[in-house]
Amino acid sequence: MYNTADVIIVGSGVIGCAAAYYLAKKGVSVIVLDKDDSIGNGGSSRNGGGVRQSGRDPRELPLAMYGVEHMWPTLSEELGIDVEYHKKGNLRLGKTEKHKEILQGLTDRAVACGLDVRMIDGNEVREINPYLSEEVTCASWCATDGHANPLLTTLGYYKNARALGVRFITGEEVVELQKIKGKLKRVVTKKNVYEGEKVIVAAGYESRSIIQSVGIDVPMRAELIEALVTEAEPKMFEQMLGTADADFYGHQTDHGSFVFGGASGLESTAKDNGKMITASITAPCICRGIMKYIPKLADAKIVRTWAGYEDICIDGIPVISEVEEVPGLILACAFTGHGFGISPVVGKLLSQMATGEETMLDIKEFRYDRFHANI
Amino acid sequence: MTMENIYDRAITLGEYVPEPDDDRIICRCEEITKGEIRRAVHDGMYTITEIRRYLRTGMGLCQGQTCAKLVKSIVARELEVSPAVLEPATSRSPMRPIEMKIFAQEAKEVGDNV
Amino acid sequence: MSMKRYDLIIVGAGPSGLSAAIEAARRGLKVVVFDENEKPGGQLFKQIHKFFGSKEHKAKVRGFVIGQQLLQEAAELGVEVVLNATVVGMYMDKEIVVKMGEEVHHFKGDSILIATGAAENMVTFDGWTLPGVIGAGAAQTMMNLHGIKPGSKILMLGSGNVGLVVSYQLLQAGCEVVALVDAAPRVGGYGVHAAKVARCGVPFYLSHTIMKAEGTECVTGVTIAQVDSHFKFIPGTEKHFDVDTICLAVGLSPMSQLLKMAGCEMEDNPRRGGQVPICDEYGETSIKGLFVAGDVSGIEEASSAMIEGRIAGIAAAYYLGYIDKEELDAKYQENQAALAGLRQGMFAPENRGKLVEKTEEGIDVSMNLLEKGFIAEDEIERFPGVTHTKGIHPVIECSQNIPCNPCQDACPKHCIKIGSHITALPAVDENVECVGCGMCVASCSGQAIFLVQEDYEPGYGTVTLPYEFLPLPQKGDKGFGLDRSGKKVCEAEVVQVRTSPAFDHTNLLTIKVPSDMVMKARFYKAE
Repeated sequence: MYNTADVIIVGSGVIGCAAAYYLAKKGVSVIVLDKDDSIGNGGSSRNGGGVRQSGRDPRELPLAMYGVEHMWPTLSEELGIDVEYHKKGNLRLGKTEKHKEILQGLTDRAVACGLDVRMIDGNEVREINPYLSEEVTCASWCATDGHANPLLTTLGYYKNARALGVRFITGEEVVELQKIKGKLKRVVTKKNVYEGEKVIVAAGYESRSIIQSVGIDVPMRAELIEALVTEAEPKMFEQMLGTADADFYGHQTDHGSFVFGGASGLESTAKDNGKMITASITAPCICRGIMKYIPKLADAKIVRTWAGYEDICIDGIPVISEVEEVPGLILACAFTGHGFGISPVVGKLLSQMATGEETMLDIKEFRYDRFHANI
Repeated sequence: MTMENIYDRAITLGEYVPEPDDDRIICRCEEITKGEIRRAVHDGMYTITEIRRYLRTGMGLCQGQTCAKLVKSIVARELEVSPAVLEPATSRSPMRPIEMKIFAQEAKEVGDNV
Repeated sequence: MSMKRYDLIIVGAGPSGLSAAIEAARRGLKVVVFDENEKPGGQLFKQIHKFFGSKEHKAKVRGFVIGQQLLQEAAELGVEVVLNATVVGMYMDKEIVVKMGEEVHHFKGDSILIATGAAENMVTFDGWTLPGVIGAGAAQTMMNLHGIKPGSKILMLGSGNVGLVVSYQLLQAGCEVVALVDAAPRVGGYGVHAAKVARCGVPFYLSHTIMKAEGTECVTGVTIAQVDSHFKFIPGTEKHFDVDTICLAVGLSPMSQLLKMAGCEMEDNPRRGGQVPICDEYGETSIKGLFVAGDVSGIEEASSAMIEGRIAGIAAAYYLGYIDKEELDAKYQENQAALAGLRQGMFAPENRGKLVEKTEEGIDVSMNLLEKGFIAEDEIERFPGVTHTKGIHPVIECSQNIPCNPCQDACPKHCIKIGSHITALPAVDENVECVGCGMCVASCSGQAIFLVQEDYEPGYGTVTLPYEFLPLPQKGDKGFGLDRSGKKVCEAEVVQVRTSPAFDHTNLLTIKVPSDMVMKARFYKAE
């Protein structure tokens, strides 16, 4: 088997799979390597499926808006698989004056960037979603936000990229990158050596140890957060939900089940057994959070909980960047828990970067060398 | 034989040939048929985890108790590997489905009711 | 978060969990056992038949009685057994969350034993999702725990011990078992279990399996057909039965999900029935202080599960410093020897799937037993338990080497000999006079011992057989003698019915049959 391609992608998450797909469409040969047995086994298969623009950092907003406008609406058709994209709005809910302040701040910043988002009161919230409790007194409402199925999106990109000839190899852990004559060329795994003209590292938090081998670092940390899914329930609402207090976020899927993420507050120091085990106290906490907002779900049965690592960047937005000092290296990591919604856009941008085309959006805000000391 | 044999997703499985019992339901909770599982393998879903995420097999109320072995044997046959090679899906809490309101109710003085 | 802590938390109040609890509590550990069911005992309380094995390990005691004994012993030692307590998950630092009532509780164990047992496998065929297709274990639960008949006319798929034992219990519950079917070419379970089903008239179809379950709303019939050596249906061999229930007894899978969740190293081991934790000889997994015992670590049966539980309970006591290494070693060796004893003979793990053609004594095994479920007339004479002494004497139709010896001690005159090797076939010492007390008949867990008197009165002899059906026939009743295949072979008159606490619910029915039928008639059916 050949171990050489135009582009080697490290990481088969939704970013890596999307990049592979858009590259393959351009006729570029691609090899995707993943240390896990299964495709997209990191955050791509563990997130809440939000396709949001509201609540984002203004630097990231153009990517989110481009995706909602130009990519998500046609993605199912493009991939020949229903990725369950629904553009039915996002409600970020608040209960207190403090929440209202937080939401107002987020809204003001988004409006300044040209996003159609506005503050609404409790009554209007319940007109949009009658299942929300009286405790909800305000919300930010972005009608063009939505959600999709991250599992099917990731596997849909994978399936199509594979069909276009991309070679995916799982169980292949990258241990180092090597420069040859001043240019990044080799990707060394525990078992093999691969060579490519460009190397895209999109391996979540693991990217950090991989790029260390060529003397590059991204200031990020890994945080284990959790989500859960209920049994299928009759159709209740279509919006994506979140809260100012970050108690929970989530939506009802096409299947009828509710997927909710949330936090106990102890995440930043969470430990695991190497298998992303959940903590005993988190799911109960998420349940309590949900029930305060959506009392009707009290009887819904939780079928499964899971945990996943977020690669949290020190400044809250990802690194999507060429690394000039390591020619050939392209980084796409540190997505900070909101990579899924912009994954089609990032995949396409990466395909442009790897082929030397001009990128369709300005990505200078995501450079790898943007981090500086305070003083 | 190990998982190694199915790591390279470029290996070809040959053409998908329909079988007479393709419409037989395998995962009862989510109503997934044998044919859908076989097709998913041909779409590149080589691990039980991928099959489950792609089709929802074993994601229903019985949590795969009934169909896990059945799905495994279908996938293994399609990939021409021994079922023992295929890692089963990860087990996650709760082991039995549990109402949100009960999960939310953590006993204050733990062990009181014991 | 503060939470209640135990020396040993056990998940599963079945044979292995309770046995472990007893051994650990006896050595001073604070032990709690959680079980999701409303009744403790795991599968034991469904087991109304007498167990095999040695006297020391509760042979000839009925499963549910063993369960009662274990529960009582555990209670006396101060073990908390919490029922209706569903373990939601096992987390880092040996913490478990348990659903009890309308709440969840957090507990930590300095050690944990997972003894969650197994779940039934399924097979698929057209119509397998119709109501009326059920697991054999489920049928057993319905009958023996809830007193509900699973159906009226039933087809059993699977000739392992579960399929055989449940078929017999279905007959006892008053169901009609129309056929016992297995795709394998030979009966998988103990021959004695097969024989007691066959002599009730249940036909065995080996090398057959289910083609389809029929019906629209629920099962109304089933079609089976013969399969070739590649398990492909042979056209033209289809057979139809009107049934309302199809029972599947096609193996068990360890319920090892909690262990996988906790991060134990696992392996897929078909010989152990599926996903099992990798563990050492004490049942300790890759996580220190986390133990397993019973079916969750590999499918076997209740007797070995109890011994594994004892070993794990003792090992937990050592792990937590309650006993020294010397005691651990001594107790381990003792239990290991017992376990080795159970794992020998024709059904030893290493013989699984193999055709053993000769007994340890060098006797050809009964092929008819393996293919039809009963020993043929021309095969029966070669076994050492079958003799033709004058007067009343036992005829022991025990033809396979299984680890079981209660009959040896049952005879007050010591006319039955097995010897020290527990799997040896029982032999009858013709020099010792049989007093016809019937203790051997009642003691045989396989119901394979009969008392035969060839010269009861001119032209007639008697056969005394074990009888566990209701209504119990009365002296003077007239009916038929059935042969080993369940076929009516002669008229028979009940001349004696004996029940005794010593027989433990195995009634002894003595029927008078023509002299030439004493070696043929093995069951009685009323007119």
